[in-house]
Amino acid sequence: MPIFGKASEAEVTRAILAGFTKDLDEYASTDVIIVGGGPSGLTAARELALNGVRSVVIERNNYVGGGFWIGGYLMNTVTLRSPAQKYLDEIGCPYKKYSENLYVTPGPHACSKLIAAAMDAGAKIQNMTSFEDIVLREKNRVAGVVINWTPVQALPHEITCVDPIGLECKLVIDSTGHDAYVIQALEKRGLAKRIGEGGMWIEKSEDAVVEHTGMAYPGVIVAGMAVCSTFGLPRMGPTFGAMLLSGKRAAEVALKELGRTPRKKSK
Amino acid sequence: MAQASRRRKPAIPERDPDWDVPRVAYIYQDPSSSTLRADEVATYLDRVLGLRCEVRDEFFVHYGGADLEGLARAVAATRVRHLQRPFEVIEPLYGEVQFELRLLEEPAKRVPGILYDAYRYMAVMAGLLPPSERSLKVLHAAFQHRLLGTFDEDGRYHARSVVCGYPSVVSTSGIVEAPAKPEAYYKVKARLSMALGSVPFEAAKEPFKGQFIDYDDPRLTEVAKGYALQAAMYHVTKEPFCEDPDCRLFNAHWQAELIRAQVESGRLCARHRAVAARVRQALGSARA
Repeated sequence: MPIFGKASEAEVTRAILAGFTKDLDEYASTDVIIVGGGPSGLTAARELALNGVRSVVIERNNYVGGGFWIGGYLMNTVTLRSPAQKYLDEIGCPYKKYSENLYVTPGPHACSKLIAAAMDAGAKIQNMTSFEDIVLREKNRVAGVVINWTPVQALPHEITCVDPIGLECKLVIDSTGHDAYVIQALEKRGLAKRIGEGGMWIEKSEDAVVEHTGMAYPGVIVAGMAVCSTFGLPRMGPTFGAMLLSGKRAAEVALKELGRTPRKKSK
Repeated sequence: MAQASRRRKPAIPERDPDWDVPRVAYIYQDPSSSTLRADEVATYLDRVLGLRCEVRDEFFVHYGGADLEGLARAVAATRVRHLQRPFEVIEPLYGEVQFELRLLEEPAKRVPGILYDAYRYMAVMAGLLPPSERSLKVLHAAFQHRLLGTFDEDGRYHARSVVCGYPSVVSTSGIVEAPAKPEAYYKVKARLSMALGSVPFEAAKEPFKGQFIDYDDPRLTEVAKGYALQAAMYHVTKEPFCEDPDCRLFNAHWQAELIRAQVESGRLCARHRAVAARVRQALGSARA
């Protein structure tokens, strides 16, 4: 007696294709496209999904979670300052108090819980997909993104001449980390600019990252470390509390921009 | 002649004709600081200098007007971009203007960490003053949560607790951030940062609790009195500071010095007590 039920190769292929095309068809035109599936992008995706907003996370890697899997110096303990540990409560991730206001948790546990929580809430993720460009509409408002398979970018142009495809949306969240790829795409067109690192009093930059999370350009919200890159805030090292709260703030800004009242509070 | 040369020249003249004696001082609150009681600061200035004080709302709430977005743009334009370079004029980003707009709309919110060029920031404030209040007969001392800095001869910006001018600003974030904390604090912070891979400010602060003024510190009002007094002294005598470490006009560079001058001593030195008495006298005759 075989362990697994019978399914032909063709059936397996059709199942993959059906699932994928159904999702792609749904998010070819959606409310929010989140570029970058690190902690801020995943948090934003979860919050939006909990509020019934249609959104998709575009992630260039096979894995999502970004730098949340590990802490500093490849040590896989991540630290969060108060009150960010409350978000770990929300997603059911255990943690320990290290000192007053400072909490630690294993990176793999926190990261996998966050991914699961986002997907449980209904977030869609398109991995192995790279952001290539922005879609512009009237008055240069950003109205979507151009994407392609990540492997296409990794191969010489002469070998893989694969045209990208475009996805439309009402808002784009740039959570691509220090690179701030969406803002970079605007910068290349002279529509926006980033400010170099500089005038920050570093001890308080984590607060500033959360508070700067918001509309950076019509149609574009910046979240996570992309905020640092856009507004010239210094790199902070692996302090993940600001990433989670920045993602949450990005979702709040998106809800406001979409004219939606937060439907339910995160649990 | 010899006798005259032996006689000590007074540091402050009896009644300097250059003194500017204000008829009123407006003190502007910082609603983001829960432990700052501006009315106590006003009472203190009245007691020490005989200065009639009126406490007002936060400066931008009082004068902000209808064009908050324009004001947000002006404030955002005063941000320091590089700590090691003189101020560069850069058009603020859309997001920076939105950020300042949020702060203007919610004055109880405090986001320390961003450094603003003190003199440009104060120029924005001065530009909001109506002509009737833009006079040396009126002293404006504003408590602000924003962190202000000045670019100095050593080629870098320095955060400031107080920047005297017109108006003068006492930064409640500056009181925390500008004077250096105990040297050992920075060593503990560096050690914990190595161990944890992040910058655990709260954990690093813990062993030094009480040795520096922190955000929402219960001693903030007491400290604020001294800095407001420095601003008032600057307005009247043009001399805000004193070299005596036990005088409230001492320009502290370390938190320990700040606490000594403002909390432990809490007094003026003999010389400045005399100056304050003369200011009281001058204000009394100006009122009469």
